[in-house]
Amino acid sequence: MKLSGSKRKWIGRLLPWLLLCVALLMVFSQVQNPRSLINVGVPWARVGALAIVMTAIILTGGIDLSVASIVSLSSMVMGVLWRNGWSVPSAAIMALVTGIIAGGFNGTLVVVGLPPLVATLATMAFYSGLALMISGAERITGFPESGLVRIAGLPTEYWILAGTFVTALFVIHFTRFGRWCYALGDNPLAARFAAVPVHRTHWFLYAASGLVAGLLAVIYTMRDGAIPNVHRGIELNAIACVVVGGTLITGGRGGIPLTMLGLVIIANVDIGLSFMSSRVEFFKGEARLVVVGVLLIAIAVWNEWTARDDAKEVERI
Amino acid sequence: MSPSESKLLELLDVSHSFPGVRAIDAVSFDVRRGEVHGLVGENGAGKSTLINIISGVIRPDAGNILLEGQANQLTDPVTARKLGVVTVHQEAEFFPSLSVAENMALTQGLPIKQLGMVDWKSVDHDATRAVAEIDEQIDVRMPAARLSIAHRHMTQVAIAVLQQAKVVILDEPTSALSAAESHWLFQQIERLKAAGTGILYISHRQEEIFSLADRVTVLRDGRRIWTKAKEAIDRDGLISAMVGRQREADDGQPSFRPKPGELPESKAAPRLHVRGLGDARGRVREVDLQASAGEIVGIYGLVGSGRSEFAQTLFGLARKSSGTVEIDGRKCDIRRPRDAVRAGLAYLPEDRLRQGLCRGLSLRANAVLSSLARWSTGPVASARKEKNATAELLERLSVRHRSIGQPIGQLSGGNQQKVVLGRCLLTEPKVLLLDEPTRGVDVGAKAEIHRLLRRLVNRGQAVVMISSELPEVMENSDRVVVFRDGTVAGQFDPRQATPDEIATAALPNETSSIAQSASQSQARANGATARRRSNWLRTVREITGIFLIPSPCPLPRGARVQRTVISRTILSGELGLLVIVIGLMIWLGLTTDGFFEPGSLMKLAANASLGVILGLAAATVIIAGGIDISVGSLLALAAVCAGMVLKSPFSTALTIPLAILVACGVGCAGGLLNGALSLAGRVHPIVVTLGTMSIYRGIVVALRGQHDINDLPQAFTWLAVHPPSGFRGSILFAALVAGAAYFWLAHMRSGRHLYALGSSPTAARLVGISRVKLTLIAFAVGGLMIGVAAIVELARSGSMQSRLGTGWELQAIAIAVIGGVRITGGQGSVLGVVLGAFLMQLVQTALVRWEIQGDQVDVVVGGMILVAILLNHSWRRDE
Repeated sequence: MKLSGSKRKWIGRLLPWLLLCVALLMVFSQVQNPRSLINVGVPWARVGALAIVMTAIILTGGIDLSVASIVSLSSMVMGVLWRNGWSVPSAAIMALVTGIIAGGFNGTLVVVGLPPLVATLATMAFYSGLALMISGAERITGFPESGLVRIAGLPTEYWILAGTFVTALFVIHFTRFGRWCYALGDNPLAARFAAVPVHRTHWFLYAASGLVAGLLAVIYTMRDGAIPNVHRGIELNAIACVVVGGTLITGGRGGIPLTMLGLVIIANVDIGLSFMSSRVEFFKGEARLVVVGVLLIAIAVWNEWTARDDAKEVERI
Repeated sequence: MSPSESKLLELLDVSHSFPGVRAIDAVSFDVRRGEVHGLVGENGAGKSTLINIISGVIRPDAGNILLEGQANQLTDPVTARKLGVVTVHQEAEFFPSLSVAENMALTQGLPIKQLGMVDWKSVDHDATRAVAEIDEQIDVRMPAARLSIAHRHMTQVAIAVLQQAKVVILDEPTSALSAAESHWLFQQIERLKAAGTGILYISHRQEEIFSLADRVTVLRDGRRIWTKAKEAIDRDGLISAMVGRQREADDGQPSFRPKPGELPESKAAPRLHVRGLGDARGRVREVDLQASAGEIVGIYGLVGSGRSEFAQTLFGLARKSSGTVEIDGRKCDIRRPRDAVRAGLAYLPEDRLRQGLCRGLSLRANAVLSSLARWSTGPVASARKEKNATAELLERLSVRHRSIGQPIGQLSGGNQQKVVLGRCLLTEPKVLLLDEPTRGVDVGAKAEIHRLLRRLVNRGQAVVMISSELPEVMENSDRVVVFRDGTVAGQFDPRQATPDEIATAALPNETSSIAQSASQSQARANGATARRRSNWLRTVREITGIFLIPSPCPLPRGARVQRTVISRTILSGELGLLVIVIGLMIWLGLTTDGFFEPGSLMKLAANASLGVILGLAAATVIIAGGIDISVGSLLALAAVCAGMVLKSPFSTALTIPLAILVACGVGCAGGLLNGALSLAGRVHPIVVTLGTMSIYRGIVVALRGQHDINDLPQAFTWLAVHPPSGFRGSILFAALVAGAAYFWLAHMRSGRHLYALGSSPTAARLVGISRVKLTLIAFAVGGLMIGVAAIVELARSGSMQSRLGTGWELQAIAIAVIGGVRITGGQGSVLGVVLGAFLMQLVQTALVRWEIQGDQVDVVVGGMILVAILLNHSWRRDE
């Protein structure tokens, strides 16, 4: 099907919104009690906050596979400290510090020159193993009721998501820092030659990722406790949101609002499928996995194809 | 010989278009035996496209190309090469992680002997012969990344001479060569002419064209304007034909430059004053330089004389080891580019493509990149201010563009250069450092840039211009500084000195060459002692060499410091791993009873088998430049399908072979799907395999839920473990896979092509390696191995859980990385992966002793990966 470049671009821009409508339809046509969605969506709010910082990292051509492990580690740190007599606030602060240190270590590895993919793959294993080691692989529950887990009626995760979104939107799209990120993703060498502060930018992004992870860990632990292996797989969902939204995995193109779009699409598709699964046998767990996987690939392919025309340079003649 | 018989290469009405652009329009010309045919034209005239067509990279839309009278022969680069059409591209694409010899062989296609194995002897032999022509001490077994650009070009020319090419195409051959090396090139051209080779010589340098060419063809806007014999051409006619307009009065004349005697007294202190500058790497030493307001200082020197290194050290891109820098009289401590910009320096990089452009970003983004602080209030950047500034800049520099928002990659070379120059200007610098500002820029834009520079200095800025074109330096500078061997060799007044004087000053002279040879002979003496002491190492390496892929990092020949030799071999790749593995085994043997009993060793090997196979699967894909994080899910999928076959009510004599077949088939299919999706969809494999990981796992859960896969037939489980005899079949499977993988990757052409593809996809395209075919092969083979692993695992455990395989994605990649496979592709060995798997298994055994179990082991796995890549990274830095 030969579509002209601009028509393709047009359809490309429209497609995510179409998908969004379908996804929303899937959910809202089935939901009995809309308010129940609030609780169902909390894990996705978590994924979203991480996805937003992940977007910035992917824009610079990097990636952070260790976010889930950082959440685990921070959560365990908080749990272990609390169990050993620390007060909840001070344990929470230490959890945040852990997140920043873990993220900062990632940043240091990348600054030293290691490829982010392998570096964060390694720290992913390292941090999650560490979390299990310090807690002896035990669950730590029973945290006192805290007013912090719900703010103004909404679970705090939503507020964290909103805060992260606003901050990232501002930083990436309206500051010098954001311009630097795009340049780094497009051509790191040229960015360096153009006096962009390469090391600082990278380090900050990975540290920020760790910070957000730590923050999410604190809230989760306060509500549900420190539980081993429960956060596994969040990083992949976060990356999926970024990709579905339209940011290119290779960096240099994309943006924060796009990721929000991706988040809403994937979250609603998943929730919609889970609703359907209670009625239609086919859509139980496994089919959901398949659908999400197919969706991810299909949209990623589509995004690449439409982005192709934008960046198409005239062959050097 | 009649004119038609002497025509080696003939183009008849060749046309080619790219979307929206007609690159070549009905071009016809020919190249005769023994002639040098010059091809000139501005950038954008179509020369690159023409070169690509003749060398077989592109098939033209229309027209015919006759090689010795026969059409339709130049179908692809490898065929073109075999038929005797050799192209030496300007951007010498090569495979950095492969050896020099293999690089050379790949351009012709790797020679094969019986069984389809690569004939390494002949590869080495041909390479050594070619290198001997250059008269240099190049080790053909070293990784090509260590070869300088000049040498890369020269080796290609040497090959062309040796192989008695019919037609040789030289694209800007002297752009990276020193005067001496250019001289060598011209000698080779004479040899080729005498042998009857036709040479197509493309160059911007008119002096070369005039001195070398027998005939000249001019291209403009994709059309051939004319072809004339040298005698019939005059300079102005040539340029006006290229540019399409009458040469402007002041082209080639120094413009706005004060005549001798009109120089204003320079009263003010110099804007830039550099004293004794040296860099940490020793490529720049004791450089003194001044530049005043109103003057253009031209830096001239040969390639390697340290000019760019000087500018980059000054700008903070390289570490300074000595010297002071003053700008407008104030001392500046410049450690990184940011400091330099703040101090008032701006630097225009030499390599526009790699160091200057952010190709996918807009003109606006590129233009304001270095001056963002100016267009923002506090932390907030203002798009409006940026757009205004950019529009004004583009206007001022006469940049031909469609819109501010268009990607800079769409502009022509000259216009791109103007934008990058504009980026420097927007920082309002006091001193401009320009590195080859008009390289790869057409004549028209070149003149505009020169005029612009003169305007800038007339308004008070100081300009330091580095150039390797002597005429440009002499015509545009107020003072010429000559660089030689990393320091200043002299200063000249271009109005009074002759070109000869300046060129001679740039050549390495007798004293320096005597000193050089003295240090060389000392080094050779050191090398002899080193060689005697390292003979035993060499023997060990030769023995293990049977198992090693022709590693591109052999013992360095000749003069190297002894310490480097030993540390290189001990720590390098496979040997280092072997040492660690053996060390760990000894330790475990000493601390555990019965460790060295055959039974327990067999158990160890059997446990490592899965890691070996999956590590090799991951390695195969990574070496080709991809990555696969669906390994675990695919493993489970293959296992479930095999399990279903095994549980079917047929005799085991049928089901077992069938199960094996099914597992391999499913694995292969899954791998192919990954590869195909990533190719067809042009999506990075990590995203594709992220998706398929989910898909495969979903299918596994669905199938597993419906079928019971427990208590598999004993005959099957005996494949892995045969309790009566204690024999562990898993080891056999692993050995089989490893052996086949080694044979393929080290000695078969397609395996070597895998390395080439991973090393440099662009170079691979140029030598005719099919990215599509090889990527699919890599993924398919990887998937096949995963299928085998599924059988092994299924047989070992006798049943199957849905969880099977989770976590193996990480482990497989970990084993590969620890085994020396580079994540970016192009490097890795089977032995390394096998050792990596053993190491992983040994570590896990050790950890069990320390009572660290389960997922806590991940701490160590993660740590091991980090150590491995840190080590890998630091050696590569040393290279």
